[in-house]
Amino acid sequence: MEKITRRKFLSVSLAGAAVGALSASGQALGAGNFMGYPEGMGVLVDLTRCIGCRTCEAACNREQHLPEPALPFDDMSVFDEIHHGGQKRRTDENAFTVVNRYDQAQGKPVYRKIQCNHCNEPACLTSCFVNAYTKTREGAVIYNSKVCVGCRNCMVACPFRIPAYAYSSALNPVIRKCIFCYDTRLKYGKPPACVEACPQGVMTFGHKQNILKIGRERIRTNPGRYIDHIYGETEVGGTAWMYLSGVPFEDVNFDVSLQKEPILANAQAFLSQVPMVLAIWPALFLGFHRLSTKGNEDVDENIKSSNREESQS
Amino acid sequence: MRSIVKNGYQPVDSPVDRVTKRRWGFMEKLFLGLTPREYLNQALKNPFNWILGVIFAVGFPIIVYRFIFGLGSVTHASNDYPWGLFLGFGLFVMVPLSASGFLLGTTVELFGRKDFKPIERLALLNGLMGYFFAVVYLLVDLGQPWRLPYPMVVAWGTAAVLFLVGWHVAIYLTVQIMEVSESFFEWVHWPMAKKFIKRITIGLTIAGIILSTLHQGALGALFTYAPSKVHPLWYSQEFLWIFFFTSSIFAGLCMVIAVSTVVKKAMPWRCSEEWLSKLDSQTIGLAKGASMALITYFVIKLVGIAHDNEWAYLATGWGQWFVLELAGGVILPLVLLGYGIRNERVGIIRLGAFVAVAGIVLNRLNTALITFNWDLYQEIPHILEATIAVTLFALYIATYRFILYRLPILYAWKPLPVEAREGVTERDHVPGALGQPAAAYRDMTLPD
Amino acid sequence: MKSFKGITLILVVLAVSLPFSGMARNLDLPDTVILDKLVNLYQGAEFDHEMHTEIAEDCTLCHHHSVGIPATDEKCARCHNTESVLERVACGDCHAVEPFSAQYLSEKEAETGLYHVDKPGLKAAYHLNCLNCHVEMGGPEGCEDCHERTELGDAFYRSGSYAPKGGGRGSAH
Repeated sequence: MEKITRRKFLSVSLAGAAVGALSASGQALGAGNFMGYPEGMGVLVDLTRCIGCRTCEAACNREQHLPEPALPFDDMSVFDEIHHGGQKRRTDENAFTVVNRYDQAQGKPVYRKIQCNHCNEPACLTSCFVNAYTKTREGAVIYNSKVCVGCRNCMVACPFRIPAYAYSSALNPVIRKCIFCYDTRLKYGKPPACVEACPQGVMTFGHKQNILKIGRERIRTNPGRYIDHIYGETEVGGTAWMYLSGVPFEDVNFDVSLQKEPILANAQAFLSQVPMVLAIWPALFLGFHRLSTKGNEDVDENIKSSNREESQS
Repeated sequence: MRSIVKNGYQPVDSPVDRVTKRRWGFMEKLFLGLTPREYLNQALKNPFNWILGVIFAVGFPIIVYRFIFGLGSVTHASNDYPWGLFLGFGLFVMVPLSASGFLLGTTVELFGRKDFKPIERLALLNGLMGYFFAVVYLLVDLGQPWRLPYPMVVAWGTAAVLFLVGWHVAIYLTVQIMEVSESFFEWVHWPMAKKFIKRITIGLTIAGIILSTLHQGALGALFTYAPSKVHPLWYSQEFLWIFFFTSSIFAGLCMVIAVSTVVKKAMPWRCSEEWLSKLDSQTIGLAKGASMALITYFVIKLVGIAHDNEWAYLATGWGQWFVLELAGGVILPLVLLGYGIRNERVGIIRLGAFVAVAGIVLNRLNTALITFNWDLYQEIPHILEATIAVTLFALYIATYRFILYRLPILYAWKPLPVEAREGVTERDHVPGALGQPAAAYRDMTLPD
Repeated sequence: MKSFKGITLILVVLAVSLPFSGMARNLDLPDTVILDKLVNLYQGAEFDHEMHTEIAEDCTLCHHHSVGIPATDEKCARCHNTESVLERVACGDCHAVEPFSAQYLSEKEAETGLYHVDKPGLKAAYHLNCLNCHVEMGGPEGCEDCHERTELGDAFYRSGSYAPKGGGRGSAH
């Protein structure tokens, strides 16, 4: 009788440990410590230079072989479009980057380009249970459509609401988002199509650490022109695409209340409990069982009753 | 069914037909001892089946449509609201309501409270049904459902909370199938298999509570991926998983009370006298457990607000909605259950249980859909999406009922009487349960 | 004797006025410059240099500090106060056609003493310098006001004869 109990205990613990080994995640660095690979590239987007010409949208459309748009890329009426819920345009399955216009109370409107920010510790990558996302050494956050199951957790996780889903496809719906032109350009040391196409030099491409310094220097040497903050430097653990603005960031619909820690850190609070529960629960509940069933008598009641039935049938 | 029962029909509840003293065949057990025609007749006479029929007639074509034309054809194809009712209701609501499996398993097997044994099987089945249909909802929701095994065998994203949820639900489903299979093996008379299950019951139960603690919590942890999107009153970075786990306790217990109430009213003929007689006392016991979980949950919700200093939010519109959810979904059931326990009014307890279940539905829908993107805009699910959700829920009820009609869950499977053990088989020509010969059917050679 | 003095005077005046030849609209200055280094989506721009020199008065407004005149912009003046005429006067002499190529970036990073690290590329330099002033002074602001779009450009922008013929798949609802 004793042997069976011990065997049961061991088998349950081993099963627990096995599941624990599968589900616990080991990390060498705490969240928020990874600022990108040293050779990682970045882009500084200077909103004071953008004139809303949409050349970047056209360049992306061509580079990524996106379908024909509803309107030509030199049609500025798109800035007046109002989408579901009173929203301006956002990225979707056929547009990896969009420019929106934000009219200001005073002065000229400000234009803002939206695309994946290629975070240092991306929430999409963190939340994907088939490891479909990769942060490459060059800094791009790319996506493997061959393993994607379509759970859309990455869309829930992205604080910038960038990944879009190809809902229109029945047979092969996948996530669609800016990949920093990795396959065609970044891998070969070339800047992405939108950066190259921009006539106003809105985007400055280079090693992330360098463009951060450029951004700081621009703020310093142009007093009064920029808000003293580089958006993306610290937000959700830092991003590779960063922004300078001449007007407060919230006036251009940036979320300024985002946390500093990467999104990964939020799930860590729970995930660190997992191996603890897996290790402690077996002994805890087996202990409860022993304590509440007055020793060995009832432990094997299931065995006894099944033996009884066996003799009856 | 009731009219047939009135005419003297006795539902199959033992391996042997009491009237003819022969063993039931599998097909006969499937048709509850009726002939197929009798079975069809009673089914057609049941008005509930008409409602189910309409729902299925409308819903199943829409489900087929979804798979032919993609998710965009039955949802708003929203990139801002990637998760809709399929996950919001099918997963996030149904999983906590199915927590009854591990709760009653732990109560009876681990804590040795044999006084809850009669309702244990219903609780285990409730758990299995809920999780199984959560997977069905998931298959409808996934963009590429044929890739469901991918996180198991193709690619591992081990840092993802969803990875844990996926593995746990898969393993726990296996555990639950094994736990419920005990009654299945009784019903089909495979004693060796049943004995095997009984041997590993303790192990299964411990595995069940480990897995359930983690994945009930993990469903809450999923929303910590979107701190800026869920309203602060519903969100807590440190505690959301604890909120979900604690609420799953009273969710599961109250769901058992609720289901047992429905079962008692809708299929009393299937419930044995013993089961019915013990039901009230067990209901009170379950209510005691649920009320402890309810008050605990209320307190930890307050702790959560205090921790993040969110008191000011209570004065807003969303705050009022939050107070309504707590008042109606937690305090009201707590009061009802408390009153019912104190005064032994089982009817009040049952009412409280239904209100608690509604509260869980509201809380999960709030977290996943309603307060999600609270600072963006509200999204009302597509009518086709809602229709599919209703259809799958109707299928859940129908499957639940199918099993309850047959397996020894609401009644105890009587052991074989001595005579029947002497090898009399069903091939002997004998009349059916209602005393009427159904010769054509009986004379068929039944497959082994 | 008198004529020799006269010729010498003229020569001296000419010599002294040479550095200010730009202002005197000497033939050294181009009247029109064809900006066609970046022709692709648009044709080259015919730039009326003469007209701009009349309007601008100060060469350094466009040429920063490369024409031998003290820079008025204090940022430039800090270092480039007594500069003579540089060899490189045209925009394209300092602003690269491909400012983000791997080679250019690594060269830039290798020069640790480099001050001008935030130099826009040629295309951006043209547009930033020209358009900023045009917007202020009411000059031409539209793309085709300065350079016509090519066939490639029309295709690129999906415009003109390449416009979507009703029902292109734009953004979802």
